[in-house]
Amino acid sequence: MKILIIEDEFDLLIAISNYLTKENYICELAESFSKASEKLAIYEYDIILLDITLPDGNGLNLLSTIKKHQKKAGIIIITAKNSLDDKIHGLDLGADDYMTKPFYLSELNSRIKAVLRRKQFDGTSILTFDEIIVDSESKSVFIKGEPIAFTKKEYDLLLFFMINKNRVLTKEAIAEHLWEDNIDMADTYDFIYTHLNNIRRKIKAVGGKDYVRTLYGMGYKFTDQ
Amino acid sequence: MKFLSKITQNYLLPFTIVLLVVTIAGYFMLRKIIVYGAKEKLLSKEYLIEQQIKNTGEIPNLHPIIEVQKTDKEPDISPSFKKVTIRNELEKEDELFLEYSSKINIAGTFYQVKLRQSTFENEDLLVILSLTMFILMSSVFIISFFSTRRMNRTVWAGFEHNLHEIESYSLKLNNDISLVNSDIEEFERLNIVITDFARKLRSDYLMLKEFTENASHEIQTPLSIALINLEEILQNDIKEDVFKKVVTVINSLKRLTALNQNLILLAKIENMQFEACSEVSLNEILFRKKEEFSAFFEAKKLNVEIIPEGDFIIRMNEYLSDILIGNLLSNSINHNINGGIIKILIKPGLLKICNTAENNTLTNKTIFNRFVSGNPKSSGLGLSIVRQICETHSLTVQYTKDVLHCFTICTKS
Repeated sequence: MKILIIEDEFDLLIAISNYLTKENYICELAESFSKASEKLAIYEYDIILLDITLPDGNGLNLLSTIKKHQKKAGIIIITAKNSLDDKIHGLDLGADDYMTKPFYLSELNSRIKAVLRRKQFDGTSILTFDEIIVDSESKSVFIKGEPIAFTKKEYDLLLFFMINKNRVLTKEAIAEHLWEDNIDMADTYDFIYTHLNNIRRKIKAVGGKDYVRTLYGMGYKFTDQ
Repeated sequence: MKFLSKITQNYLLPFTIVLLVVTIAGYFMLRKIIVYGAKEKLLSKEYLIEQQIKNTGEIPNLHPIIEVQKTDKEPDISPSFKKVTIRNELEKEDELFLEYSSKINIAGTFYQVKLRQSTFENEDLLVILSLTMFILMSSVFIISFFSTRRMNRTVWAGFEHNLHEIESYSLKLNNDISLVNSDIEEFERLNIVITDFARKLRSDYLMLKEFTENASHEIQTPLSIALINLEEILQNDIKEDVFKKVVTVINSLKRLTALNQNLILLAKIENMQFEACSEVSLNEILFRKKEEFSAFFEAKKLNVEIIPEGDFIIRMNEYLSDILIGNLLSNSINHNINGGIIKILIKPGLLKICNTAENNTLTNKTIFNRFVSGNPKSSGLGLSIVRQICETHSLTVQYTKDVLHCFTICTKS
């Protein structure tokens, strides 16, 4: 999967690219509007991460170029502005998702995967982790071939874990993924614990392994290592 | 009190006093002059009578004006004036006369003289004169009063217009203040000063607004870099204490982010940057949010009851209405007790959200203030945002606490 990251803040550009490279994406970087236009005209990408505020132009204006040259690419807008107008405008112009800085890298990964799934780049909507199979199209989970009923939040949590396997996830990152704007709620962390226990219980019930490792009571890691 | 009324009031009292004093003083002065004139007349009459008697020996008598009597001996009177009333048989009424009693000595013969001058007509004249003076002065006053009023209406019209313009001027609206020019120097000076003042105020306001927005946005980028790098540190095999410290730093930075975002939101609402583009049904949002929050309700074993008595439709930005209901609901969950209740009444123009809660010292006056919170985990901005949304949408919000803690939102009547 080839990703173009358009971001004028160098440190952020490097950090995102390092992370995505580790996640086996091929990353290309553009730190300005002109560089981005150049690359967009020549190469083809699967995902484009687009910062709106660029020193030499508004990133939203790149969307038309992207639509012209990169018909297949999924576009995720990344911006410091939490502006609803920009969001609606961006989505209207053909962006697939919109993220407000700051965000967790695990969340970015989850969003990229979601866009890829929607665009069907994987050719399949099936995600596999050892004996766990998730079909994101029908939103169903199979463990050892057996269909297991999950609630929406449990499903979301499991999918988030599987996408970010072998990665340390703080409770806050999980809460933000599951409840988005509503993480202001005081007791979200208890819910994660409840949902997590349900997932563990359901996997164990059909003889599956417990892949969730708790880290010092502050985070989790979904791993089979 | 209006300027005109003040002026009128200020000069009504002195004018009335002057009017009364002048009228009364005038009356007495005129009277004195008339009496003086009458006395002169009587004295010259006496002289004429004396001459007549001397020359012709004829004693004139004309009752009641002239009465001359010859006396044998010198009458015991000295010349004096007094007022007398004499019946006028012709008009059948008493008339007032000034009477002069004197004696004349002509070659050893004494005459007692009583001369009278009717002051009746003079008294009438006096009253008429005083009255005329009074009416004259009053009409001058009344005319000047009405002409001043008229003049005021034209002269002050521009001023009134400008005053209205200044009253309705808002920094948030995107236009300059437009004052009517005046040909009165003082007003024109005032206009220039106010226009300059408004322009300066506006440019300062815009600068500050821009600064706040930019600063807030600029803060997000370094926060992103810090958070992403910290997140990557967590992925390494690190010791427990380091892990915990990193997570603590991440969480603090996230709080800072949330705080910053809420402050930006508040500033945006204040600056009216959200367009109310459609009619939204708060009922709909309420039921949707109830679904969204159902997990939180369950976790605290809250009994949630919504009593819809009609649709609360309001013209509001959809995003803001979402935040409004969301903040109120999360408030009623966060500060609730386990197994508590949330009772929501909604009808046209009224939304009342009540919940059980721990006791707090907050009041209707303080609870909506920024950074005031009954819970150390919350930023204390949620309810400030609620109030700000209400204020910009002609709504009132009130906090009351009795058995239940209630927030009531209703449209301003």
